[in-house]
Amino acid sequence: MIVGLDPTSGSLDKLPDKGAAPRPKTLDGTVIAFIANGLGRGADLMDALYAELSRDTTFAGSIKVVKNSVSIPPEPQDWERILAEATVAVTGFGG
Amino acid sequence: MGTVQAPQHEYLDVDALVDDYHERGWTDGLPIVAPTPEKVERFLAVAGLRGDEVLGHVPTREVTVTAEQVAINAVMAGCRAEYLPTVIAAVRAHLHEKANCHSTTGTLSGAFQMVIVNGPARAALGVACEGACFGPGFRANATIGRALRLVIRNACRAIPGFLDRASFSTPARYSMCFGEDEEGSGATWRPMHVERGFAATDSTVTVQSVMVVVPATDFTARTPEAVCDTLVATIRSKGTSGDAFLEGAGEVVVVIGPEHRRFFLEAGWSKDDIRANLHPRITALDGPGRPVKFPDTEPERLLLVAAGGPGMGESWVFIPHLSRAITEPIRTAVTTSP
Repeated sequence: MIVGLDPTSGSLDKLPDKGAAPRPKTLDGTVIAFIANGLGRGADLMDALYAELSRDTTFAGSIKVVKNSVSIPPEPQDWERILAEATVAVTGFGG
Repeated sequence: MGTVQAPQHEYLDVDALVDDYHERGWTDGLPIVAPTPEKVERFLAVAGLRGDEVLGHVPTREVTVTAEQVAINAVMAGCRAEYLPTVIAAVRAHLHEKANCHSTTGTLSGAFQMVIVNGPARAALGVACEGACFGPGFRANATIGRALRLVIRNACRAIPGFLDRASFSTPARYSMCFGEDEEGSGATWRPMHVERGFAATDSTVTVQSVMVVVPATDFTARTPEAVCDTLVATIRSKGTSGDAFLEGAGEVVVVIGPEHRRFFLEAGWSKDDIRANLHPRITALDGPGRPVKFPDTEPERLLLVAAGGPGMGESWVFIPHLSRAITEPIRTAVTTSP
């Protein structure tokens, strides 16, 4: 008989299932946030996506956040604005 | 004894343990050494560490890494007990905020972690720094680098298809560790760790995450200036992006082989002399290729390391991923296990 130790920081099976955020039935009347990570032309992609969505949707407003660095979260004030004002958010990146 | 906290699993024999660890996704695909409680406790004792000592965090993954986890993975990697302080230092370095674990281990680009050992520990542990030092055949190099990668996999959760999103990845993610050839660098070259503020008698580990490796091959250069020309062309063939989080590009590591090194040493060029030549040329916005986005005032972001064996007019350039190179002291006295 031999005993071995678990080398992990915790079972992946036990990670909390945060699931997907609830989806609104319609985007009409929502405030949509776009969060680009700054890589490549990610911000341009977000602009194009907003233009495309706007063809069929009447948004109440939009928020655009381009992160200062690809490798860190948005700045606290950006988070606060997104959480306070946005109904839905789209994140994306470009390589 | 009897202080380990990790969950324990019982097996009929070692083969069953190894098979189960593979099945659970706890290995890099190569065989492992069984991390028994006795062995892990011995490793921690040699390093003088408590198992619950926290070495760092990966906030975006809600991960805390402890000395016990690192010892378990170091055993699995095939380390000797006396390697553990070096592995611990490498893990501390990699978990430094600016080493950017989440980005550099999750990236599509498949960046790898390069471990460079300086100071007395290098020779004491047998970390190779001369011929073939980037390749297989050296237990310390192979297992110290592998241990860091197993920690990144098992403790930091960089598992392919999960938080490791590499498109191709790289064999350097099995292991990449070598030492600086301080003895082969002449009196005019200060070892990298001394340039970074440590005493020559200190032992250190420097970790940098690398996205691209480019050999700078030149068999015809016979002067320091000519070698620098080749290095500039090689570095600018890739260049680097700037990054606000890192306040510019992270460190570019240039490992200078002996056939290039001798031209610098014979001409009396120090590492600073080389930087004085290279820095303005690799950062210039005009010129061929892409510039390196170092801050103008920080030529020390160009790390120059002596290593490699004779016969090839070559140096190697390591272009960073989104990380700073971090140097950590190897904190526990190096001892030799029986």
